[in-house]
Amino acid sequence: MKLEVSGVGKDYLIPVIDSVSFAAEAGEFVCLLGPNGCGKTTLLRIVGGVEPASRGRVTLDGRPVVADQRHDRKVGVVFQEDRLLPWLTLRDNVALVLTPLGLAAAERAAVAGRYLRLTGLAGFESYYPGRVSGGMRQRAAIARALAIEPDLLLMDEPFGALDAQNRRIMQQEVRRIWRETGRTIVFVTHSIEEAVAIGTTLVMLSARPSRVRELILNDGRVERAKLVDDLNTMIMEEVERQQGATPGP
Amino acid sequence: MRNVTNRFHLPTLAVAMAIVATWWLLSVRYGAYVLPSPLAVLHGLGDVLRTGEIWRHTGASLARIAVGFGGAVAVAVLLGLLAFVSPLARGVVHDLLAVLNSTSVFVWIVISIIWFGLSNWAPIFTTFMITLPVVASNIVEGVAAVDRRLLEMGDVYHLSGRRKFTAIVVPSTLPYLVAGMKVGFGLALKVSVVAEIFGVTSGIGYVMNYSREILATQMVFVWALVMILVMTLTDKLLFDTVSRRLMRWRT
Repeated sequence: MKLEVSGVGKDYLIPVIDSVSFAAEAGEFVCLLGPNGCGKTTLLRIVGGVEPASRGRVTLDGRPVVADQRHDRKVGVVFQEDRLLPWLTLRDNVALVLTPLGLAAAERAAVAGRYLRLTGLAGFESYYPGRVSGGMRQRAAIARALAIEPDLLLMDEPFGALDAQNRRIMQQEVRRIWRETGRTIVFVTHSIEEAVAIGTTLVMLSARPSRVRELILNDGRVERAKLVDDLNTMIMEEVERQQGATPGP
Repeated sequence: MRNVTNRFHLPTLAVAMAIVATWWLLSVRYGAYVLPSPLAVLHGLGDVLRTGEIWRHTGASLARIAVGFGGAVAVAVLLGLLAFVSPLARGVVHDLLAVLNSTSVFVWIVISIIWFGLSNWAPIFTTFMITLPVVASNIVEGVAAVDRRLLEMGDVYHLSGRRKFTAIVVPSTLPYLVAGMKVGFGLALKVSVVAEIFGVTSGIGYVMNYSREILATQMVFVWALVMILVMTLTDKLLFDTVSRRLMRWRT
């Protein structure tokens, strides 16, 4: 599914996103990078149709995404927090989001089981979220997002709450799942190393009000270490500019 | 056996024994009219158990509570729903409950006697008016505490309104409802018994007041004991079990 973001902007009390445009072909793994507070999460919410844009438009295969309007494209979202229902088992959590797809209960449970296996949670299907580790909860959230077989998978710093070791494991897992399922993914992160390790397209946003500062194809033609250095320099510049521009707290 | 000793742990047991001993000494000093001896109360308890009077009066009280308190729970749930769907209603309900909460039991007893006369409906109405704000405040609080982020997750995955309600809103509000009912039921028992002093001819409150009139002080104590037993039993057997069941997913 082809994602197009054209001239999307968002104002709250101040303009947060000035104008952002980028496109992702089907099967691409886009990483959104940028200084804190530049509107990465907001942009992701606009793409997911959770929040309306102040200007510009988002299209999936040419059809516009409008906030709070149902559309037939399936978008899976992994939030910063797992957002699992604590009173449902992992299997039931995944099965729950399958109800709008009109599957029978047994089928829902089967699909949920399949995706929990895919995310490495075989054997934990009947556990409540409170009884498994943070990493496993986030895996379950990913399983839930994948289970609807989304045309587009949005991930908002999904590993932010994990320790370094789990983070690395999960990055590899997501990369593997992406290869196996071929979904289009938009992944927000503040970690440059993470973006370079897993993304195929890196979108670096500028300081607030944000624009696209740099769009980089991470196809291996530029050496990774150099890419990380370049991006680090860029992000430092943007952080400085953001701190200079707006009197922040 | 071990379970029993765990529950009534030793220091509590020691204090209880000290109290009973003091009670007994005082009863010897002041006489059976002012303070009947523990043994006399135990005998009285045996009597009401044998004659079945205990079931008649406890049953009558519980039946009134079932109607008054049951009605309060039903209305509280409706108010909770209202507060959930409309933020405007939430403010109004909140203020109304604050007013109800600060109204004395006696106000409702007097008003209910004026409105319903000396009938079953007086204690029922009093119980209703007193327990409604307690249960409803809990539900409204629970409804306000529903995690909006979970609801947003429901939106993202296109869950229907009904599904979001049953899968997200109800489970997160239920613990508040049960906690409110637990407190509310205790209050219902205390309040309805007071209201039973007037006009009705059955119930723990009635029989307690009657015992006082016929100078059977030990029976006043017996019925007080019955009340405590009913309260403790429903708490342990009913509410604790239900909340444990609901909280299965915790820890």
